[in-house]
Amino acid sequence: MSDVTLYHWEPNANSGKPMLALMEKGVEFESHYLDLLNFDQHQPDYLAINPQGTIPAMTHRNPKLGDRVLTESTAIMEYVNAAFPGPQLMPDDPKDQWRVRWWMKFIDQWLAPSFSMIGWSVFIGPAVRKKDPRELEAAIDRIPLPERRVAWRKAIYGAFGEEEMKESQRRVAVGIRMLEDALSQREWLACNEYSLADINGFNSTYALPLSQPDLANDEKTPHILEWLRKVYERPAAKKTWAMGKTDMVKRVKLLERS
Amino acid sequence: MALVLYHGAPNGPSLTALAALFETGHDAELRPIDLTMAERHSDKLPHNTETEMSIEGEGPVLVADGEPMADSVFLACYLNDTTQTSPIAPTDAFARWEMMTWCRQIIERVAPAAAYLGVKAHLGGKLSSFSDAAFEKLMAPIKSEDLKARWNDIREGVFDDEKISDSKAKIKAAVEMVEAKLGDGRDWLLGEFSIADLETYAWLAGMRDIELAAFEGATGINGWLGRMKARPSVARALSLATTPAPQEVWAPGPEINRWG
Ligand SMILES: N[C@@H](CCC(=O)N[C@@H](CS)C(=O)NCC(=O)O)C(=O)O
Repeated sequence: MSDVTLYHWEPNANSGKPMLALMEKGVEFESHYLDLLNFDQHQPDYLAINPQGTIPAMTHRNPKLGDRVLTESTAIMEYVNAAFPGPQLMPDDPKDQWRVRWWMKFIDQWLAPSFSMIGWSVFIGPAVRKKDPRELEAAIDRIPLPERRVAWRKAIYGAFGEEEMKESQRRVAVGIRMLEDALSQREWLACNEYSLADINGFNSTYALPLSQPDLANDEKTPHILEWLRKVYERPAAKKTWAMGKTDMVKRVKLLERS
Repeated sequence: MALVLYHGAPNGPSLTALAALFETGHDAELRPIDLTMAERHSDKLPHNTETEMSIEGEGPVLVADGEPMADSVFLACYLNDTTQTSPIAPTDAFARWEMMTWCRQIIERVAPAAAYLGVKAHLGGKLSSFSDAAFEKLMAPIKSEDLKARWNDIREGVFDDEKISDSKAKIKAAVEMVEAKLGDGRDWLLGEFSIADLETYAWLAGMRDIELAAFEGATGINGWLGRMKARPSVARALSLATTPAPQEVWAPGPEINRWG
C-alpha cells in the first residue's frame, strides 16, 4: 500500500495538477476517484477528509504523525516537489521560482476561473441537468461552501449572466495573448526549465485548440501549441491523461504529434 | 544582488514586503510611491507583464537585478529564499505547505475583503474630488482592464451591498481562523513566526477600526496584533509612514472572486 492517497476527479484543472506532479516525481499513489458530476465530493466520507468539499485532496502517511491531509492543488504540488525525491519541478534560481509562483497564482485566480465559468456553462451544467430536479436540489443543499452552492445553481439552471460570460471570454483572450508572449520569450512558461508552472498551465489549457479555435491555433499562437504538444509528449503526462474517463479530457489526444 | 523596493504606505501588501525585507536583512533601496494615486503605473518605476497584470491590485514592486516583481507573498518568499537561514519560512515541506495554504486563504479571501472595505472607508472620498480629466490621466497607463474598473467604481462610489456583506463576513471568518490558531497559547500563527503572520497582519491591522464588531471579545488576536506591531521589522516598516494612521491608507486591492 502506498503512503500517498490522492482524491481526484479527471486529469483536468485542479485535480490534474497534483496527478501530473506525482507522476513526474515518480511517486506511487493510491488513486481515489471522485465523480464530480455525481457530487461525490459532498458525501460525508469525503467531507471527513476535506470539509470544504472541493477536489483535490491528498493524504500522506507519516510514521509518527499519522495521515496528514493536504488541500489546495497548487500548494500540494509545491509539497510534492519538496517532499519526494525525483526530478526537480522548481527551478533553482529564486527569481525563476518567483515567476513560477506568479504564473500559478495568475492562472489559479484569474485565468482558470474564466475557463471554468465557460466550461461549467457548456459542459458541467448540461451534464448534470438531466438528473431528477428534486435530487439536484438535495445535492445542492449538501454543498458546504455557500459560493459553491451559487456556482452549482448557475450551472444547473443555466443562469449565467451575459455580462459575466463576456468578461470571462475577454479574460480568456487576454490570457491566451499573455501565454503566447511568455512562451515566445522562453522555453517554458515561467523560465527555461519545465516546472510546476507548466503543469499548472497545461491543466487549464490542454483543450484550447478545440475550445477556443479562433484564438488558439497554429497560426495565431504557435508557441502555445508547441508548448502543449511538448508537455503532452512527456511520459508522465501520457500516464496522467490515460487515467481520464470522460470525453472532456480525451480531447487531449489532439495534441499528439502526427 | 541589487534590490529596489517601490512601496506604498506601510499597510496591506506594502507592509508585508517592507517587513519581510527587514526580517531578512537584505540591503535594498526604498523608494516610496503613492499607490492611492496609481503611481505604480507611472514612469517612476519599471514595468513588465507581471507587474501590470498582478492580481494583487495596487501593491509594491521589488526590482531585483533589473527585473520588476510583484505579489507580496511571493516577494516575501523570494526575500526569504535568498538568505542562508530561511528566517521567515519553514524549511520542512509540510510546514511550508501549511504556510502557503494559509497565505492563499488570506490572498484569496481576506485581502479582497479588506481592500474593499478599506477603500470604501478611506479612498472613495479622495477620488471623487478629481475632475474627469485629472482622473483619466491617472488611469491612462493602467493596463489591466479589471483593475481599472475597480478604480472607476471607487471613484463613482459604486459599492455593492452583497460585496460589502460578503467582505464583512470574510473579515469575521479571518478573525475566527486566527483565534482558533492562537487558542493553544502560541505566539505566532503557525508556531514559528513566518510570512503567514506578516501577510495576515498586513491585511487585518486596518480592519480593527472598520470592523470593530468582528474583533470584539477576540482576546487571542488582540494580543497577537500587539506582538506583531512591536516586532522590530513591523515597527520599522510602520515608522516609514508619512501620515499618522497608515492603517487607513488603502488602494484598490485584489478583486472579490467572481467565480468559484
Ligand atoms: N483552490 C482549490 C480549488 C479546488 C476546486 O475548486 N476544485 C473543483 C474542481 S476543479 C471542485 O471541487 N468543484 C466541485 C465543487 O465545488 O463541488 C484548489 O486549487 O485545490
